[in-house]
Amino acid sequence: MEAKLSKASRALNASPIQEISHLAQRCGAINLAEGFPDFPAPPHVKHAAVAAIAADLNQYRHVQGICDLLAVKMKQNHVLDFDPLTDFVICCGQSEAFAATILATIDQGDEVLIFDPAYETYESCIILAGGIPVYVPLDPPYWTLNVDKFMRSFTGRTKAVVLNSYSPHNPTGKVFSKEELEVIAAACCQMDCLAITDEVYEYITFDTHKHLSIASLPMMKERTIITSSLSKTFSVTGWRIGWACAPTAIASAIRNIHIKVTDSAPAPFQEAALAALQSPPEYFSSLKADYVAKRNFLIKMLSEVGFQVHNKPQGSVFIFAELPKTCLLSDIDFVKELIEKAGVAAVPGRGFFHGDCNDQTQQSRYVRFAFCKSNDTLSAADQKMRSCVGK
Amino acid sequence: MLVWWRRRQTGPRVGPGRVAPARWHACAVSDSPAYLTPPPSPNHEMLSSFCFCRSATRRLSYPSAARMAAVSTASEAKEPQQPSPVLHIGHMNVENDAVFTTPSILFTRATVITPTGSKTLYAVWALLRPYGTAWPMLKSYSTVAKRLDKFKTTIFTQMSMLAVKHGAINLGQGFPNFDGPDFVKEAAIQAIRDGKNQYARGCGVPDLNSAIVDRFHKDTGLHIDPEKEVTVTSGCTEAIAATMLGLINPGDEVILFAPFYDSYEATLSMADAKIKVITLRPPDFAVSVDELKSAVSKNTRAILINTPHNPTGKMFTRAELEQIASLCIENDVLVFADEVYDKLAFEAEHISIASLPGMYERTVTMNSLGKTFSLTGWKIGWAIAPPHLTWGLRQAHSFLTFSTSTPMQWAASVALRAPDTYYEELKRDYLAKKAILVEGLKAAGFIVYPSSGTYFVMVDHTPFGCENDIDFCEYLIKEVGVVAIPTSVFYLNPEEGKNLVRFTFCKDEETLRAAVERMKERLHKS
Repeated sequence: MEAKLSKASRALNASPIQEISHLAQRCGAINLAEGFPDFPAPPHVKHAAVAAIAADLNQYRHVQGICDLLAVKMKQNHVLDFDPLTDFVICCGQSEAFAATILATIDQGDEVLIFDPAYETYESCIILAGGIPVYVPLDPPYWTLNVDKFMRSFTGRTKAVVLNSYSPHNPTGKVFSKEELEVIAAACCQMDCLAITDEVYEYITFDTHKHLSIASLPMMKERTIITSSLSKTFSVTGWRIGWACAPTAIASAIRNIHIKVTDSAPAPFQEAALAALQSPPEYFSSLKADYVAKRNFLIKMLSEVGFQVHNKPQGSVFIFAELPKTCLLSDIDFVKELIEKAGVAAVPGRGFFHGDCNDQTQQSRYVRFAFCKSNDTLSAADQKMRSCVGK
Repeated sequence: MLVWWRRRQTGPRVGPGRVAPARWHACAVSDSPAYLTPPPSPNHEMLSSFCFCRSATRRLSYPSAARMAAVSTASEAKEPQQPSPVLHIGHMNVENDAVFTTPSILFTRATVITPTGSKTLYAVWALLRPYGTAWPMLKSYSTVAKRLDKFKTTIFTQMSMLAVKHGAINLGQGFPNFDGPDFVKEAAIQAIRDGKNQYARGCGVPDLNSAIVDRFHKDTGLHIDPEKEVTVTSGCTEAIAATMLGLINPGDEVILFAPFYDSYEATLSMADAKIKVITLRPPDFAVSVDELKSAVSKNTRAILINTPHNPTGKMFTRAELEQIASLCIENDVLVFADEVYDKLAFEAEHISIASLPGMYERTVTMNSLGKTFSLTGWKIGWAIAPPHLTWGLRQAHSFLTFSTSTPMQWAASVALRAPDTYYEELKRDYLAKKAILVEGLKAAGFIVYPSSGTYFVMVDHTPFGCENDIDFCEYLIKEVGVVAIPTSVFYLNPEEGKNLVRFTFCKDEETLRAAVERMKERLHKS
């Protein structure tokens, strides 16, 4: 009966992250693997959702107000003009926004460039749309853009480039610099490709770094599709409210796909999104401040137990650390031991590398830690790590 | 390598120097420059296949594909004659998404002698754009994927907009204007307050999966594994999309019964399937056994059934399901069963085809919370299938939405454990509403077809003299002030549905009575 599966779905594999999660659960480990918070969502947002349910806003709906607010934010944050009536598509999470974008723009045989390391969801999506994912390796240890490799990855069939700065799919937390974005933008214009961005961590950026969307660079707005969501900004990853923002014709195509895939995002949470998106500036600044503190705490802990943290993440909630030089285990074995002995779970880095674009031994030297956890959790993890690692 | 293009269809002359819209077909390739006049200027570049890929199959969209097609026919071409010099400066309109204006396109014409006669070929040159190649001019127009070729604006949106404009009572949209039960809403509120707001497990919150299993067991007698055989999705819509994308290969044959819910055709075209349709005809919309037998063959991958059926209200009988089952077993065909209205079964007993002998192992049974609990905006659905089929649809689901709304899943597990009295009351309420609508439609002069399930009723509108269903629905909105849905959109061949429209009774009684009054007063038979 396996023959009954579509060829495409047979090409996909089970997620290594899920397996580690199950092991972690069984051992009752502190979970620094999965990228969702263990602290509560902001009260004003939860209240809005509760009020919506109670007010009978529970049937299929499209809440235009979300698009209006997003258009305002695009103008404020990126000086970009989008039409709230036509340029936004509200989806079930950034996951669906991305899937709908791919299904709307990628045809059989189209190539899509993805920067490596990257998590597998992008690849699966592209394959199922009949496309061909092409990995462009970033150069360790700082994960810089290798312009030569990048330009050589383009062919006549390249349709799009996926930009996963700040995304959970980019485990390194690296953010492309303005210069790198300009190179990517110039290439997109010259080769007439689309840029599909995943900006779910747009409000979780650190130090002096301000989130820069490639769409704001010259000539990029007409060829960029921005996807994002409420999930990380408002700690409601389980609500499934996301969106795609694109030039009208492309947005219309994405909307057509979305309507056939899920038809509508959960109605009460769309209402709550209105409250969320109208949060005062203090909310966003304290969100940043909290996460910076958590990041610094975790970096300190990891460095002190022997990890090599080359790259201080400038955005997102992950640290991609290289195993201590003295450690001879592979990433998977190390993570398993860490779960069993120290009771702390993380993600082995090899799942993020593809092909032989990077040195094989290099690929098994990284571990990803998440710091989107409460301070108590991080302190507990700190204690456990110190007692077991780096002896 | 140079690609030569042949014009397949001549259009009318549109004026001096203007080429009429034409279809272009890549048909030969050469790599010797002797065949080709040198480029008109250093700023001209030979265009490759992009926009000119409208071959008969509409599938050539990439240079390599075009070259392959070209190479296969190049063997036909013998020594071409020396091409004439550049002779045409033209405006070429190659269907809607690639339009070029003069003078940026030049073509060189040549005559090629082949075994079957001579062909006129064109080499097309485009003026390079200042900052890049000629490609941008082409690609920007074919940004959107081919799978959207079949997508039309949904009729529901159009009708809704008209309805608002004319203040009409909406009996078109298939969702209630009353809300769900308090105990379910309170469960969702509690879940939000309890902090159940983060990612749920991709295949569903365990509590909900087991509630689904319990319910399925009660309804069908089957025992299934909540971990391996149940997948929670964002509504039944996503269950359908995940099933198609996870289990259907491009080119697979899938059978649908018309009229069908509009997302079936769209998702099947996304999966690039070949659709075969069997039409259900009034008055009883029964399945024609002969048509079924001739449709199902060894090439069939799956049959999609929707029971109780939207829009006709038909419920597949045991005999019909057994027919379908035996053909499926004989030809090794899968069944995708959309059973969202299973609790709105009024005149007959709902039977899940998965419960028939030999069928569970080849069936995906899909359902949702929305219709049964009047919470259509929550988007909680599920697919029940044996492990090998579940695996495929879970793969697609994991990239389509990754996971489903967490607090609503918790509430759904409470909902599905509702006592039998909930379902009995639901049925009683809907039966009362149905009576109001059906009596009213008959009194107003429609030919009403019996509906055994769902909250839809199909009627024949021809007594009122309109040409077709869309005209009738517009007339109904503007002159009578009531919305119905024209059913021609639910058929592959719209002609088959032009006499029929669909009304819904998932509205409160006052609304239904008001709509019925309007129709009795204002509808005039012709």
